Amino acid sequence: MPQFGSEIFLVIAHWIRGLLGGNTLAADVVMNIVKFLMIYIVLVLAVCVFVMMERKVCAWMQLRVGPNRLGPHGWMQIIGDMVKLMGKEDFRPDKVDKWPWALAPMFFLGISIMVFAVIPFGKNMVPVDLDLGIFYIIGLSALSTLPIVTAGWASNNKYSLLGGMRSVAQMISYEVPLVFSLLGVVMITQTFKTSAIVEAQQHVWFILLQPIGFVVYVISAMAEINRAPFDLIEAESEFGCGYFTEYSGLRFGLFYMAEYANLFIVAAVAATVFLGGWQGPFLPGWLWFAIKVLFVVFLIMWFRWTFPRFRVDHLMHFGWKVLLPLSLANIVITGIGIYIYQLIYPGIGG
Amino acid sequence: MIGKGLVKGLGITLRHLFDKKLTEFYPEVKPNLPPRTRSSMFLDAPKCIGCGICANSCPNKVIDVSTAKDENNKKVLTGYTMDTGRCLFCGLCVEACPSKCLRTTTEFENAEFTREALVWDMMKKYQDAVARGEVTAEPKQEGGKDNG
Repeated sequence: MPQFGSEIFLVIAHWIRGLLGGNTLAADVVMNIVKFLMIYIVLVLAVCVFVMMERKVCAWMQLRVGPNRLGPHGWMQIIGDMVKLMGKEDFRPDKVDKWPWALAPMFFLGISIMVFAVIPFGKNMVPVDLDLGIFYIIGLSALSTLPIVTAGWASNNKYSLLGGMRSVAQMISYEVPLVFSLLGVVMITQTFKTSAIVEAQQHVWFILLQPIGFVVYVISAMAEINRAPFDLIEAESEFGCGYFTEYSGLRFGLFYMAEYANLFIVAAVAATVFLGGWQGPFLPGWLWFAIKVLFVVFLIMWFRWTFPRFRVDHLMHFGWKVLLPLSLANIVITGIGIYIYQLIYPGIGG
Repeated sequence: MIGKGLVKGLGITLRHLFDKKLTEFYPEVKPNLPPRTRSSMFLDAPKCIGCGICANSCPNKVIDVSTAKDENNKKVLTGYTMDTGRCLFCGLCVEACPSKCLRTTTEFENAEFTREALVWDMMKKYQDAVARGEVTAEPKQEGGKDNG
């Protein structure tokens, strides 16, 4: 029964509300806790899948088979990895700035989790349907520079500090084209609400109306989450591991997890804004959403294992001299397009 | 055209994604090494004349040959050891051997737990190989060279 399949989570939510009877306050509180737990569980599972996918895709592209010992074809390797990470000593170097050093990884993951509040996982499945959803995502993604700089500064290590400094330069530069690439879609839909943007793509996905926007978004989002070929912040061959050089064990695990959580966010926003979100025939909405997210994640991994790392000055030139003009031109073209459309079909659109 | 190289690179990695993988599953599947791989030594003990040229040609003093005179006043091999902890497997001893009794083999699992275990008794190795049936022992040829 497709109807039930697509609504299964809503049915569960309705059932939980029903359990609490007429007490709406208690129901809201319980529902918020359930939503948070669901986000966290989905996030952890997704990170596990992405880490394994990354290792397998990377291996296949290099004509290897990748992890192949634990579980069927090695797909359970992540369990071994996590047990190893948890079993490691929680080591704190002597001269680090204690509190900022300890808080940075927690904030990094915390900010990543916060973004998931506005992601529409399926029809009527937005945890918190904010009116300024896109704005909220952009604000938090800009905020995620801060824990990186904190980690770099508090580590009391010149390589970490260099990594943190580069993160400021890179993430702030690429924030600008990232925002402008999303602006085209916002101009068309006249809303920041993520659920409304998905609903506007019922007939045509915005990747067809905004191809330049999509390309600019994917490139600048890869730079924003520090993935290769834009991983200058943690360039191993240049300075250790960048901002998390001094972290080990579970603290390193938090950074690692947050990185993949950011990958999930980028893919989820791309799926929501450009690929029609949960819209799709036959399959339930949340499954469509998962398929689209996995597709974008694969795309980003494909780029990572194909292209070599940028040079620092090339990175800045590319951001300011190529992506920014491109995204501005996209906005102008979109504006003209909307104006012409309104002349032909008056009354449609804002 | 700008970006042509990028697309080409993406095409290559995508093709590799579906290509046959090169990984060998080592402990389960033994690698098929080329026949001239130099990773282990074998001495055909009965053919050895105990001349010691191999020991002299060795750059690392790996080989230790000990001989004795038999009742016909002829040299016979009494001991032949190789300290493979020092061995390069360069093959100079094999080249130097006049009776062609020393050769390199493709056997490669030579790791041991102690340094002492790295000293190979080549005569015992030969006897083990005979016992396993890998080499057929030939009776030592008598006569013909007594005068020489």
